Amino acid sequence: MNEFLITYLVGIIVVSFFVNMGISLYGIFAKPNLIKKLIALTILSDTANAFAILIGYRRWPPGSMTKPAVFTDFPPTPDKIETFASVAVDPLPQALVLTAIVIGLAVIILLAVIIMQIYRTYGTVDTRVISKLRGRKHE
Amino acid sequence: MKFEQVLIAVIVVIFILALSYAVALGAMGHDVPPLNIRELARNYLRLAFNPWKQNLTVMSPEVVTSVIWDFRGLDTFFETAVLYLAIIGTVVIYRGVYTASKEVVSNFDTLGMSPIAKTVTRITLPLVLATAVSIALHGHLTPGGGFQGGSTAAVILILILVIFSLHFSVRKGLTKNTMLTLRSLGLLGISITSIIVLILGLITGCQAFIFQNQPKAYSPIGLPASINGVLISGTLLLFNIFECFAVATGLTLTFIIMLTPESEIRSVMSGDRYE
Repeated sequence: MNEFLITYLVGIIVVSFFVNMGISLYGIFAKPNLIKKLIALTILSDTANAFAILIGYRRWPPGSMTKPAVFTDFPPTPDKIETFASVAVDPLPQALVLTAIVIGLAVIILLAVIIMQIYRTYGTVDTRVISKLRGRKHE
Repeated sequence: MKFEQVLIAVIVVIFILALSYAVALGAMGHDVPPLNIRELARNYLRLAFNPWKQNLTVMSPEVVTSVIWDFRGLDTFFETAVLYLAIIGTVVIYRGVYTASKEVVSNFDTLGMSPIAKTVTRITLPLVLATAVSIALHGHLTPGGGFQGGSTAAVILILILVIFSLHFSVRKGLTKNTMLTLRSLGLLGISITSIIVLILGLITGCQAFIFQNQPKAYSPIGLPASINGVLISGTLLLFNIFECFAVATGLTLTFIIMLTPESEIRSVMSGDRYE
């Protein structure tokens, strides 16, 4: 029962990631408002980051001791290092997501500033209107 | 218009179904999350802090930081370059715009938020600063590091900008150019730290390579892992400090730009400034 419950809950998480991804991709492609496109882009990048973290996570082996994976003595003996490596989660997705978050923040700031500038120049953030303005300002 | 939206929705649904089918077939491993991690990740975990394999270890118990700044240091270097370029793009769009108007303000109490908000900010800012410094300096020991510490430190400067007003901040020296200079110094520090072992190797005549931290088998030179028994993990501490500076000042720079008064930007855009 416990095993089934864990599988069920993980299934909900994975399905919600895909639904989230679909909604945000639809928002990026179909919404004409640039601000809404930006919001959809942040949802997409956050979903991708959370999915990477989920893939790098590891399930507890059934019946094992649930201790956190830290070194308790200094310097650690080779046995302790092997125990650490056998219970810790994958560090690589976490490292990639960490940098991806900061860069995503910088890129979102750049896009927000560009959208602000588009609004100042054209008076609107609707892509349907902007494409027909040909450089004039929206009244 | 209606037809296009339906078409986009159908394409997105097909794409998501294909993606989930690939995951169900085992594109991400048959268990998500898996019961066992890959051998590569196991090797990272084994070698991050391993005094028994001096030629391969990073001497940092925090595996994520060792991956970021040692095992995959060049990746992080170029990702820092992306951060740099995105902020440069933000600055370039607002070239020629003053960060605050030149008019003289005699009483700063009338600017910014209410006295309650200002007093609470004065009390909490040292706490946030201590947290940020702690996160950045302990980046090679505990979860955290330069990025996280820098983001926390940026909160302090952004709070000052929002609560005490942009006029006050500019008068106290929190200007666009100061932030740009500090951020460039932080990035310069990162660049120098990435080649510091190479420079040491050139001076002493040893072999060394870029982003080297601890001594390796064919390049027996490196930064010390600990000083007086305090673990500093060689270059990791330096990287974390400089990254903290670069991220904190870079994020503050973008917020200064976004808080620029609308009238200033309008006057630059209409061409009044360059008559």
